[in-house]
Parts: sequence; C-alpha cells; structure tokens
Amino acid sequence: MNFDALTIVYILEIVVGGLMVGIGVHFVPVGGAPAAMAQATGIGTGTVQLAAGSGLTGLLAAGLMMSVTDNIWPILASGAVGAMIMMDATMLTGGWIYAYAVGAPFASAKVNYDPITGYSQPPYVAPGTVGQGIPTVCYVSGTIGALMGGIGGAMIYYPLMMTNHNPSLSALFAIGIFLVNAVLASWNIQGTIEGFHDPKFKRWPKAFRSCLVATLILALVAVTITGGA
Amino acid sequence: MTVGGGAGGAPSAIDPKKLRVYGLAGALVGIYLAAILNSVLGTDIFSILAAAGAVAAAVMGANAVRRVCGYGIGTGVPSIGMLALGMGIVGASFGLSTAEQLGISMAGVIIALVYAMVFGYIVGAIANKVMGFNIPIMEEGLTDLSGAGAMAIIGWSYAVSGSLAYADMVTKVFNTGYLAIIFICGGLAILHPFNANLGPDEKQDRTLVNGLMVGSLATVAVGLCSLATLSTTAALITIVIGAAAWYYFYVWYYRLVKRDAAAVVGTGLLPPSAL
Amino acid sequence: MDALSMGLVAAMGALATVAGASEDIESDIGSQSNPNSQVQLAAQVGNPHRIYNKAISGEPPANALWATTAAVVAYTLITKFAMPALFAIAIGASVAALFNGVFSTSAYFGRSASQRRFNQWIYLDIVRYTTTSIMAHAWITAFCITCIAYIQTAILTPHHPFPMPVIALIWGLTVGAIGSSVGDIHYGGEREFQWRLFGQGLNTMLSGQIVRKAEAGLRNSIDNAWFCTKLGGPLTGLGFGLTVFLDNWRTTVFDPVTQAGLAIGMGLFFVIIMNLYNFYVETSIRKKYGPYPGYKGDIAA
Repeated sequence: MNFDALTIVYILEIVVGGLMVGIGVHFVPVGGAPAAMAQATGIGTGTVQLAAGSGLTGLLAAGLMMSVTDNIWPILASGAVGAMIMMDATMLTGGWIYAYAVGAPFASAKVNYDPITGYSQPPYVAPGTVGQGIPTVCYVSGTIGALMGGIGGAMIYYPLMMTNHNPSLSALFAIGIFLVNAVLASWNIQGTIEGFHDPKFKRWPKAFRSCLVATLILALVAVTITGGA
Repeated sequence: MTVGGGAGGAPSAIDPKKLRVYGLAGALVGIYLAAILNSVLGTDIFSILAAAGAVAAAVMGANAVRRVCGYGIGTGVPSIGMLALGMGIVGASFGLSTAEQLGISMAGVIIALVYAMVFGYIVGAIANKVMGFNIPIMEEGLTDLSGAGAMAIIGWSYAVSGSLAYADMVTKVFNTGYLAIIFICGGLAILHPFNANLGPDEKQDRTLVNGLMVGSLATVAVGLCSLATLSTTAALITIVIGAAAWYYFYVWYYRLVKRDAAAVVGTGLLPPSAL
Repeated sequence: MDALSMGLVAAMGALATVAGASEDIESDIGSQSNPNSQVQLAAQVGNPHRIYNKAISGEPPANALWATTAAVVAYTLITKFAMPALFAIAIGASVAALFNGVFSTSAYFGRSASQRRFNQWIYLDIVRYTTTSIMAHAWITAFCITCIAYIQTAILTPHHPFPMPVIALIWGLTVGAIGSSVGDIHYGGEREFQWRLFGQGLNTMLSGQIVRKAEAGLRNSIDNAWFCTKLGGPLTGLGFGLTVFLDNWRTTVFDPVTQAGLAIGMGLFFVIIMNLYNFYVETSIRKKYGPYPGYKGDIAA
C-alpha cells in the first residue's frame, strides 16, 4: 500500500460521496409513520429506508455503467438518474394514493405558500393534521435528494472499484458506507422532514460535520482494502 | 416508528457488562476454535463453531439495541440495526484484508474487532456531542453494536468460507454474493429481537431468546450457502445443528411468550373488558 | 438493442409489478411497517383487537431478507447442483417463505406479549390462518425479485457485474421502501380508519381508534388484504414496475458504451415528466376538492 496522490483523490471522493448522501437525506420529504396515516406531509416511511432504496437503485445503475466504462462522469450521472427515477416513481404513485384513495389535496403545514408554485397551503391542511401528500416543493426537493444520494452512492463506489477492481466487494462496502451516513443524517433530522423549505433543514451543518468525521475514518481504511487474489 | 413506546429505561436481569464479555469471548473463541481445529485437522466440519460465535455476538448486539432504543432515538429500531451492520461490514473487510497484507491472517478478527469498536465509539460520540442526543450509554451502546456487527459478519462468513484467509473470503463469500445474506440476516438477528418484542411489558430474557432463535435461523441460511463452498458434510452439519438450535430456541421463546402474555387462547372474541 | 433484450426488460417490468403488489399486500395482511404504529397504539388506548401485528423491522430490511434468501438458495442450486433456474428460484422462494413465517409469528407473539398490561390476547387461530397467507405473498415477492436478479446477471446484456444475491438485496430494499411509501397509505390512511370523514388524513385526536369490527363479527387481517388489493397493492406494483422498467429500458434501448449520454438524457426526461405529472395531480385535485370548510385563517385558498 503506497499513499500516492491518486489514493488521496480516492479518499476525497469517498468523503465527498458520504457527504452527498448525508446532505441528500435532508432533502427527501419523509413524514414517517404519521404520513402513512395522511397525518403529515411527505412520504410515509422512514428516512433511512427511503434513502437506501433510492441510493442503492442508483448504485445498481452506476455499477452497470462502471462495467462498461472507466469514465467517472457517466457513472455518476447514471447513479443519479437511477436514484431519481426510483424516488420520483415512488412519490408519484404515493401521491396518487393520497389524491385518489384518501381523497386529500396535497398541503404542507410548514409554509404558508409553496415556494415553487405559490399555492396557498393552510386552507388545504385537514383539521387535526400537519399536512398531507407531496406538494410540488416537496416533490422537487425529493428529486434533488435522490440526485445527491445517487451521486453519493456512485461516488463511493467508483474509487472503491478503482482500488480493488471487485464489483461485489465494492458494492457491499459502498452499501455499508451509505447506510452509516444515511443513519447519521436521519438521526440529525429526528425522523421527519419536509424538504429544503422545512425549518429543520437548517440543521444540515451538524450532519455535515458528523458525516465528514465518520466517512473520513471509513475512507482511510477503504482504500487499503484489496480485491483478493 | 417508535409510537408503540419504548421499554422505558429497559430494566434488565442480565448485566450488560457480563453479556458483553460472553458475546465477545464467545465470538472470538468460536471463530478461533473453528479456525484452529479446521487447519490442524485439515477439515472444514468445524465451521459451525464460527457460526455459533456469530450468534453470541448477535445476541450481544441485540442487547445493545435494546439498551439504546429504550431511550427512543426518533428513527425506529431498524435504522440502528442497519447502522450496526454497515459499520460491521467495513470493519470486517478491513480487518481481514489488512491481516492478509501483513501476512498474519489469524490476526484479522482482532483488527476488525478493534477497528469496529473504535469506529462505533466515535459514531456514538458524534451522536452525543455534535447532534446533542445526550443519551448516556450511546458511546457504549454503539461500541457494542459495531463490534457485534463485525463479529457476526466474520463468524458467519467463516461458516461459508471455512478459512480466515482473505483470498478465500473474497472468492467464496464476496464474489458469490453470499455476504448479502450474512449482511441482512445478521442485521435482522441484531435488530429483530427488540423490534419484535417492543412494548411496555418487554422482558430481557424473552428478547434475548428471540435473538438466539433468529441467530440460529441465520446459521441455517449460512449453512445452505456453504453447500456450494464447503464439503457436503460440513454444510449438512451446519444446517442440521442450526435447525435443531432454531427449533429449541423457538419452543423456548414460545414458552416465554405464554408466560408473559395476558392470555394465549385458541380462538375467541375480544377480552371481556374490551367488548 | 435487440428483440430478446427488449422482451426481457418487459418481463422484468411485469415481474416487478407483481412483486410490488404482493409485497404491499403481504405487509398489509400483517400490519407491518408504518400503519403498525396504530395497531400497536390501539391496545394502549383501550382497544384490544384481532389484527395481526407483524413488526419485522420495517419493510425494506424484511423484504431484502426474503429476496436475498431466495437468491442465495437459488444461486447455490444453480451453480453447485446445475438445477434449471426456474425450479431453483421456486425452491429458493419457498425457503424464503418459511423464513418469513418464523419472523412473522415471532413478531406477532412478541409484540402482543409485550402488551400484557393492556390485555391484548394472543389468538392462535389468527396465527394459523393468517400466517400462511402472509407467507404465500412473501413467496410471490421473493420469486419475482429473484427472477429479476437472475435475468439481470445471467441473461440480459451487458450482464450486471454484481452477483445475484446482492442485486436481490438491493431490489428487496427498494421494493420495501416503495411498498411502505405507497401501498401502506391505503391501509393506514383509509382501511384502518373507515368510520371518520372521507377526504382527509387521520385527525391526531383519533389515533389508535382503529376499526376493529367487520360487517359480521370482528375484523381480521385477511379482510384488509381484500380491501388493499383494490388500489394500494396495484399502485405499489406500478411504482416498483416503473422503477425497474424505466431504469433498465434506457440502458437497453441505448447502448451504454456508445450512447451513454442518450441513456442518461432519457432518464432525465422521465424524471422531468414525473415532476410535471405530480404538479398536474396537485393542481387538479386542489381544484376538484377545494379547501377544507372548517378553515378559519386569513390566507386565501
């Protein structure tokens, strides 16, 4: 193992990837268990699970791309697009359930007007709830979150592949690093968040510092691992 | 997802320090005994011992989940189980790979354990200091969890590879993708016991027996994988012993459920108080 | 692009749709994941019930376990014993269903036993007839996902570099994430609380007041499957089917080596279309449903 300039670049790529995952989680509108009862705005599931679902779908796309090219840009773009497709398909079909099964208009209780469409929100918030469904601002925010998660996952995978040339090992290792960052970020937002317009979003510097430290420790050892015989 | 209510400080009959010693010692003894017996006798039928070590580690992890989640961390039990295995997988592959590069493949387990526990401690410290969780046992709990994750992964991986050499691990466990089942089954062995018993009347012994039960089930899964990598005898030994242990612990678990439940009835309407 | 690859991608989309639907129904029968919080709460607020309480770690890890179990068993049988893929995957899915049964029953026993002080009984007849239908749905999910993983690694070109169990793990996590984000709302937002006003989410004051009685007798979890099959399940299937199909379609139609830019651009196009579609849904339902009549604030609708 020799620490040359390339190794340092790989370490930096893993750290940046981890940070992208950590910050990206903050963009994903997750309402947790209350959202599954249409009691809160956002997607009705846990942060880590959704981030993992989309980021790892991106990892699959990135892994396929990496098997045919060594150029980093298509790999990152492929990961991002794969993750965005998963997140958008989930939010779209989830939105149909809110719209056509629960029969509730989309509304956020955190802002008075949707920053993107300008639609008023409070009149559409059902009594006794804190909003429901996925308004446009949450949808766009979720897409950005998936974009960052997908790029992050691919950016962790790429340097691992370059050092150990073993897709299986790199994929599982990337899943490990991905999950550590996603869990740290979800602890930071305490379970639920609506997107970049949510006051909780201002907490991201804490997640940035946490993920920086955690990923750096992981990245330092990640580049020393060989791909076996 | 913790609306169901935590265990409220999680009273325990078995001291966590004792369980930690049992878990770590059990894992190390299991893995090393399997490695030594296998290499000395030139066979692979002792691989089951490593799986038993992994079960011990998983039970320790389940107890750590129980202690940390008793405080309520806002994101539910599953995330912490995934974190444990995320940390464990990095620790395990780093330990084995480094030991191979240093030329002492036997030391891999120790390196993995030390790295995983240090990393777990740092993550716990981050949670408390940077994010302001202020859970007094966070560092301790995550140290345990991370170590348990790494030991569980190495133990069950050994039961598939039959050797501690990194090259064997890579060809038999990583490249085949069997690490995926170890990852997810190990994760469930750590997080399922507390998650399945969550509620105000949760009891430590019932949770831990559930952990033993899930761990034995994971051993069966690993045994099925080892059909492809080890001799048929070794694989069958792992499967049969795993299944027998699973049956024993499942029956034991059911006994504890009958002890703790308000009532176990064949059929019937709601309890008279609720009609 | 060739006809075989296109057919395979179409088959993967169809398999994913079935997997998504069965995954959601499986979790609804067992009251898994997020709606589980209300089932759990019901007994605490004085409403013991006869509904299955299967809390297995949230849907993504649980489904990842079923899919991965099926995949490793199938992979072992295919590589070591040279079995035909379809039989091997069916056997793998059966093992996964058995695992599912163990986890389901232990979670039902454990959760109910931990509610002793709320007088929540354990009913063995529920365990007998509900667990089997949970296992049956888990079998379908595991079978379909393992088939997808097999197609991606062994038949579709370019072969995916990840081994089959890892792909099954990732698709399992994804189908669980989609199932808990999409189908569960139909169960949690509608089926659990059918007696409140239609057209809004659950009022926080009503938490835990789940429907416990059916048309005749007490509601059981199989009734919930009957209801959720109508919309929650199919839409979950659509969500997962779209994910698998769109993601693979673009790398099959456009060669990832020479036309990587087009494949990525196509993906971006899908993303933009879905964003616009959600905007259309939001606008149209705002117009159709209108604001809530009880609103007293001064922000115009």
